[in-house]
Amino acid sequence: MSEEGRNAEEVRYRALLDLDVSRPEAREELVTGLHDESWRVRRAAADGLVRLPERGAVVERLIAVLGERDETGARNAAAEALSGMGASAVHPLVHLLGHADPDQRKFAADILGQLALPEAEGALVAVLLEDGDLNVRVAAAEALGRVGGRGAAFALERVLSNPEPLLRLSALESLAALRHPPPLAEVVPLLNNPLLKRSAYRVLGLIERPEVVALVCRGLAASESRSTREAALVALGQHSARMADGGRPAMYAAVGEALRRLLGAVSWVASALESGDIEVKTGALVAAAALREPRLAPLVAEVAQEERLVPEVMRTLACFGPETGRELLASMDRLSLPAREAAGQVLVDMVDPSFVPELVQMLDWGEVDLKGVAARALGRTGALDAVEPLAGFLSIPELAGVAARALVALSAGFRAQVLQALQTSLERGAEPVVLNALVRVGGTSQLPLVRRIAREASVPLRATAVEVLAAVDPSGGLELARVALVDEAPRVRAAAVRVLGQVGDVSLAPLLQRALADDALEVRLAALEAVGECGAVALAADLEALVRHPDGAIAFRAVRSLARLGVLRDEVIQQAVGHEDHEVVKAALLAGAASGGGEALALGLLDHAHWDVRAAAARVLADSREERLLPPLLNALLSETDALARRALVDAVERLSGR
Amino acid sequence: MPFDTGRPEMTAEEFRLLRDFVYAYCGILVRDDMKYVMERRLWPRLEALGLTDFSTYYRYLRFDAQRRSELETAVEALTTHETYFFREPRQLKAFSEEVLPVLERRNARTRRLRIWSAGCSSGEEAYTVAMLLLESGRFEGWDLEVYGTDISRRVLSVARLGEYGPSALRSTSPDKLARYFVHVGPNRVRVRDDIRAMVSFGHHNLRDVDTVPLTSRVDAVFCRNVLIYFDAPARQRVLRLLYDKLVPGGYLMLGHSENLINLSADFELVHLRGDLVYRRPELGGGGGT
Ligand SMILES: C[S@@+](CC[C@H](N)C(=O)[O-])C[C@H]1O[C@@H](n2cnc3c(N)ncnc32)[C@H](O)[C@@H]1O
Repeated sequence: MSEEGRNAEEVRYRALLDLDVSRPEAREELVTGLHDESWRVRRAAADGLVRLPERGAVVERLIAVLGERDETGARNAAAEALSGMGASAVHPLVHLLGHADPDQRKFAADILGQLALPEAEGALVAVLLEDGDLNVRVAAAEALGRVGGRGAAFALERVLSNPEPLLRLSALESLAALRHPPPLAEVVPLLNNPLLKRSAYRVLGLIERPEVVALVCRGLAASESRSTREAALVALGQHSARMADGGRPAMYAAVGEALRRLLGAVSWVASALESGDIEVKTGALVAAAALREPRLAPLVAEVAQEERLVPEVMRTLACFGPETGRELLASMDRLSLPAREAAGQVLVDMVDPSFVPELVQMLDWGEVDLKGVAARALGRTGALDAVEPLAGFLSIPELAGVAARALVALSAGFRAQVLQALQTSLERGAEPVVLNALVRVGGTSQLPLVRRIAREASVPLRATAVEVLAAVDPSGGLELARVALVDEAPRVRAAAVRVLGQVGDVSLAPLLQRALADDALEVRLAALEAVGECGAVALAADLEALVRHPDGAIAFRAVRSLARLGVLRDEVIQQAVGHEDHEVVKAALLAGAASGGGEALALGLLDHAHWDVRAAAARVLADSREERLLPPLLNALLSETDALARRALVDAVERLSGR
Repeated sequence: MPFDTGRPEMTAEEFRLLRDFVYAYCGILVRDDMKYVMERRLWPRLEALGLTDFSTYYRYLRFDAQRRSELETAVEALTTHETYFFREPRQLKAFSEEVLPVLERRNARTRRLRIWSAGCSSGEEAYTVAMLLLESGRFEGWDLEVYGTDISRRVLSVARLGEYGPSALRSTSPDKLARYFVHVGPNRVRVRDDIRAMVSFGHHNLRDVDTVPLTSRVDAVFCRNVLIYFDAPARQRVLRLLYDKLVPGGYLMLGHSENLINLSADFELVHLRGDLVYRRPELGGGGGT
């Protein structure tokens, strides 16, 4: 397009976007736009028409455009607009299904498929079974695959015996889409039909019968055609997705045997693992699990780029043996990130002491995520020579956590060596996780070191020391916490406040009151929690004032602490229930339920704006076991559109009606 | 504080709460069938924080004093940062051979060129673009700037460092390797300093329309394999932002499996010899910089 033409197009496009749709001329201007030479302008026109208020009239107008034989662009744009019109388009389109011109009928069927509304099922079924034009029937078959319904499935099955292959194909595809397989006996003959076999295998994969595996294996071993084998792979993947773990070994054995009869099976499976078709990939994973060929392992791991296949990838890799572990390890640095992640997890489960040298090597050159994998794996080797390399990572912030955990795992066999490593690292100013690990492995014998650290080290380490000490020596911890309350670092003060909550008692109320007013939010939040934990009832009034706080974090903790103290007054609950933050509302509801006033609250919350509050209310009502609450629950169920809230309501109804 | 925990399962409700919260923050939609992925990626966070279940973790994200930084960490864990040098060569070839000449002509007067890699991950894409600019030989003496932005601070620190291993180089030819990188270890290379000097990195959530760290409009945006994580409304918002940030006539490069069908007609599709790209039309929305 010339520069000039492009500018003119842009002007027309903008004009349609900016069109005032409340003006009476708007409709015809948009219809003119449907006929524009530029697809962008036609798109904007179609979008505009969907936004017009008088839907009925717009639908009629659009249907008229569908009849303009030579205007391909306009007709397609009108079809697009119609599929955005929702229920108001169904009736007129069903009417159009009776038009004399088959072209119009086909359009109507296509758009009804796009709309996918159950109201169209009956009319489409009639067209599928009776229309005189093949293309129209095919369109109806395709549309029914999206509209669904029992009548649809039944009619599609009937069409499977039609002599017209195209019709059978679309019926089969639609049955697959509806996940409604026909009886096995009807599918078997189709497996040999070149046009139909791909779809036939697809539905075969949906059939839950033991014979399916044998049929699939026959397809896999079929040496004559790659496409048959791929179709069989697709079925295999589908079948396996539904299979319980117990059935897998037998399936793998059968598939393995079939594949071994196939020349070049390993490279064929390798290329299927790299296929662009996700269903073929899924099946290829099963084939790889059956073959257990170490060379396939990196390719299997790469399938993890498709995130929804990750569970299957992990399951597959887990089928391979330790040899595969080495193969994965060797290729780790060339794998994509998702593949590494999956491979890493499986690897960690596979390692034994013989892996230590390779893992240590990986610690040396790997990127951070690989080092993390190596560290975790080293922790599972149970080998003494894993201790030292791990100790080297305690001083690297990104890795200290994994390394410390790995060392704790190793301490089961080599306590003294691990303690030594952790202590040395602490002397050099390590991360808080190291201190944690040390106390976990060494217990009270480490107290002197902890005390010293609590006085001198970095802020994070100081904060951790306060808490760790309290965990092993409550009275010593409390003493240290009182000092730490005046530390200059908020993080240390917050840790001290947490300790007061955990090991302190009501006598600490004045200290906590001061903490409630601390400058740092971190400290205030910890104090709110601690008040409830140590039973400082004297501070109830302070907490009540905070229930109204706009920050959900503060209000939430205030409600919970008041409940914990057992002094949450109805009036305060009412305030909390009106809070903007739905977590605060739920906290109040649960507190109210625990103190016996839950039903009234829950009834009032059945129509709360947030689905999770409604679900929580349903659960509270279910717990009441009061049958008289059934009517309001049923009522709520009628208007509930959210799936999870519905589930909670259904559960509640079932429980209360004793089902 | 607990040290390590068993692996808790995520309930359907926990999944929804976490998913919705993450979505509101950054527009990333974790699909329903990805509950397992979310569970697995967030386990390590529970472990690191000593939490025992996902409800507690959700409330931590909402209510803890460290909520902001934890949310960033969670999003980091949930997003895929997969990227490598010279990814999608076909598009890059079209960019070098057909888009760059146009940009050279358009900007001949100002001798300035700005390119944005939005969602740049660990920097491979931004450096690749810088290498292409250099390789084209068209812009000697020009004022060139490549920006890389990402929501994840962790990947940005890798990007700034500019050091990579074999995985990042799996699509880099030996001659490019020799030309644009220096070896820093048996298995690691660093991007040459003069190329690193062309590229700057910054933190930016594509959801935040107001805080784009670019001062002027750009001539081309690479936003590849980023929109796939968003749902339609979020994509539309991001596209609007990219549109606003492009000069009229500027180019938008998406990943090869991405397109704007049903998302935006603001951009026009340009058929190059080697590939399809999108372009902000010349008119509408005021002049460039
Ligand atoms: C798969 S990588 C793509 C990297 C590179 N563009 C490429 O194609 O090779 C996606 C990147 O998008 C980033 N991302 C996701 N959501 C984002 C958001 N809301 N704002 C900015 N970046 C985001 C992720 O952190 C991740 O690094």
